[in-house]
Amino acid sequence: MMMKVNQRLLASFDWVWFFALIGLCAAGLMEIWSTTGGTGLNSYFGRQMLYLGIALVVFLILLYFDYHIFSDNIPLLYAAGILALTLVLIVGRTVHSNRSWLCVGGIAVQPSELVKILVIIAVARYFAESERDHLQLNELIIGALIAFVPMALVVFQGDLGTAITFVPIYVALAVLGGLRRRHILVFLIAGAIALPAGWMMLKDYQKSRIQTVLNPSTDPQKVGYQTIQSKIAVGSGRFLGKGFRQGSQGQLGFLPARHTDFVFSAWAEERGFAGSIALLGLFLVVCLRLLKGAREAKDRLGTMICVGVLALLWFHLTINVGMALGLMPVAGIPLPFVSAGGSSLISSFAAMGICMNIWMRRYVN
Amino acid sequence: MNLQTDSSRQHLQQRLALFYLPVVAVFVIFAARLWQLQIIGGSDYALQAERNRIRNIQLVAPRGTITDRDGNPLVENRPSFNILLYRESIKDINATTAFLAARLKIHPDDFAELIQRSKGTGLYRPLVIKEDVGIDDISVVEVHKREHPELQLGPEPRRLYRHGTLASHVLGYVGEISDDELSKEIFPGARIGDLVGKFGVERTYNKPLTGRDGRRFVLVDSVGREVGLLDEVDPVIGGELRLTLDLELQTVADEMLADKIGAIVAMDPRNGEILAMASAPSFDPNSLSTRISLRDWQRMVDDPRKPLQNRAIQNAFPPGSTFKLIMAEAGLDEGFVDDLTRVTCTGVALYYNRPFRCALRQGHGTVDLENAIARSCNIFFYELGRRMGISLIAQHAQALGFGERSGIDLPGERSGIMPSPEWKQRVRGTKWFGGETISVSIGQGAVTSTPLQLVRAVSCLATGGELVTPHVLLRAEQLPEESALWPRRRVPIEEMSMRKIREGMWQSVNAWGTGHAAAVPGLDICGKTGTVQVIGAERRKDFSGDASIVEDHSWFVGFASKDDPEIAVVVFVEHGGKGGVTAAPIAREVFRTYFAKRKSPTLITEAARTARAGGQ
Repeated sequence: MMMKVNQRLLASFDWVWFFALIGLCAAGLMEIWSTTGGTGLNSYFGRQMLYLGIALVVFLILLYFDYHIFSDNIPLLYAAGILALTLVLIVGRTVHSNRSWLCVGGIAVQPSELVKILVIIAVARYFAESERDHLQLNELIIGALIAFVPMALVVFQGDLGTAITFVPIYVALAVLGGLRRRHILVFLIAGAIALPAGWMMLKDYQKSRIQTVLNPSTDPQKVGYQTIQSKIAVGSGRFLGKGFRQGSQGQLGFLPARHTDFVFSAWAEERGFAGSIALLGLFLVVCLRLLKGAREAKDRLGTMICVGVLALLWFHLTINVGMALGLMPVAGIPLPFVSAGGSSLISSFAAMGICMNIWMRRYVN
Repeated sequence: MNLQTDSSRQHLQQRLALFYLPVVAVFVIFAARLWQLQIIGGSDYALQAERNRIRNIQLVAPRGTITDRDGNPLVENRPSFNILLYRESIKDINATTAFLAARLKIHPDDFAELIQRSKGTGLYRPLVIKEDVGIDDISVVEVHKREHPELQLGPEPRRLYRHGTLASHVLGYVGEISDDELSKEIFPGARIGDLVGKFGVERTYNKPLTGRDGRRFVLVDSVGREVGLLDEVDPVIGGELRLTLDLELQTVADEMLADKIGAIVAMDPRNGEILAMASAPSFDPNSLSTRISLRDWQRMVDDPRKPLQNRAIQNAFPPGSTFKLIMAEAGLDEGFVDDLTRVTCTGVALYYNRPFRCALRQGHGTVDLENAIARSCNIFFYELGRRMGISLIAQHAQALGFGERSGIDLPGERSGIMPSPEWKQRVRGTKWFGGETISVSIGQGAVTSTPLQLVRAVSCLATGGELVTPHVLLRAEQLPEESALWPRRRVPIEEMSMRKIREGMWQSVNAWGTGHAAAVPGLDICGKTGTVQVIGAERRKDFSGDASIVEDHSWFVGFASKDDPEIAVVVFVEHGGKGGVTAAPIAREVFRTYFAKRKSPTLITEAARTARAGGQ
């Protein structure tokens, strides 16, 4: 009986989806190798390989259990997530003025990355349990609290880039849950109040980053410098790119954070228009698979989770690539699966594991 | 699990369709933007990437000059060229390696090591691969500019110690900041690659001596040629330092120690200004003040004669008979010695069942205090020490600065040891023996002193009870006036005691005492010799090795003139033999030079007069 179920599950594993993810990781590894040089055990490349291995193990483990295990236990998991975020505030380690790292036995982890997934499941379950066609106001408010309490904790860590990613998760799930016109109006008014308040909370460097998107050439040596260098990197890649380790912008250090936040620019410089479109194409495949998973999920919960993950991925992609292409302000948001960094990679694969889980169990009762 | 009704499922599916729009939209926008940047703007951006190489060239600021008290330059700067490597411009590392080996004599292993070591620093930061190059190397780099754009000449002001080894231990030297100094933030604000003071006043006054580096932002093309200047900030030279040293006196002091191991300090006893400080063997700071070549430095460190050590402050030896001056002060002020005190010296005395000998075998006969100082009678001071006891001796010696650092503005000073029963219990864990008091009474045994400590204590006896802080800084351009206030400590000494000690010291030099070799006709020099036994006389006879290493250490400490002390001198010669034979004549030359310059107005420049006035 057990074997049978497993074989049925295995048959519904989506290889296109999976290989799209592997393709993204491969592109990321190649670019990390190119821009940071070494391939040794302790190089960025070597560590990224290790993270990928861990991420794949996490991915496979998450496929094994029925996804309802996560939603059934979400109160406990959510509480643990809040606890971890609070712990970070007390004993966390500061990296680049962001107090978002927790040291566990010599390994630094960013709990905020994993909490995002817990928030998706928590909000999805809460909204999925509403049996009506539209969400009630009180449901919207409680859903907002579920999403924005951890977000507030992340804001206190000083990591605004990560904090802002909680917003699209909530908005997407609320839209999917069904909004009445008057609630949309409430949303817009709340947003109109929150926006200036949020602007006041920003640090000066963050404000100037946003201002320079509007007019990047005003101050080439300072805040707009990164945007200009990134555009030069992307543009100078032309159609086929400069080739492996040939991108002068990335190799000579003109491009900032070339293996992490600006990895797309480095890729576009060395792989050109063709490579950039291919990379975006892989992301498009993943996004469409998530939508397919949402459509065919066997229950509201599955649909909600897939859309929550889609919102998160879409937001990261839009901000990160938008930043590389000079369309968005510079923000410390990694490109999922591609940027160097363990927490992001592992949490991205964890999210994909849950969605694939939903996909594979679409017929199973 | 909530089973969905058909209606709610339908609604959900309808709303789900909404999500295709933003997904597809963002991909369309990004594809369009990529087309705009890479296809339409591609050639334009490619050109910008080529031109987009901004070099940030550091213009190293010269350090401040250092002069003697009259304004004679001791340390200046001279222009020099380094060969710099811009790693970002390397086209083929093997070609560069081969070129460096063939034309600039840089060993491939050294080069590979430098590249490896500098991995962590930004690629845009040039590496100094050869420093202070001559005209040959300069022309090699200039001629091959096109093939090797990664090699550039970088001007850098270099420290010039005008008089080579002169006063090298006071002046010190500079060097590239070490990883250790960086991580401990010993020089706040200094960055990797900066030159900082490593020793001497270069180190103590590193901050006021350090200038402000300038910068040049230049555009370089893809082969590393400058194609435009974006911005330039001129370097600012560091502040001037005027030392208390007197070049002439310092020169004599250094010459006197030329072939010896030892130290000389000449100090103004009234205010602690160091007029000369020599330590031998010395080193040439010019050869040490480099970034790369550590060979000279390693040789210095390995040299058993320890030329890098400032023996005036970093070497503590038993003070020998010069310590009798401190004994005399203690004895007089504690009432153990007065006008009527007499001791009969027969050449040997028995204490604690052990014979203690006088330097003069046949004995000095009956001596009073002045006599005992002048002729350096041990028996007198053995007896005084026995009566006073170690605690009183230690108390007076400590009041005169023994066992503590003088606080001179030079790095690495040692404190010496003034032993006491408590000290022995703490350090060695054993009881004090009475016989040790007897040894300490003539400056042997556990008591040790740096030459500077000794001259400081004697200055206090000479001038009337003010223990000054010795210092070598007269004025620093970039330090506030308050920093030139050096603390003093009042030591309670009776006027009568000082007069008797001075009388004894005067007789030592001028009335055929042990210090007569220091005498200069017409000058009232007061002094005291010291001879430190390295090995007992009996054992010495049997010693078969190199005789020079068992030879006695030679001390002389004194001041002049007797009634108006303005210079105090200490001379210490390691294994120099008797104090009266080796150290005293050296001190004589220092005194002679000082007073010759004082008496001949032509030698005293206007600058000297103002310097002296300002120093008081």
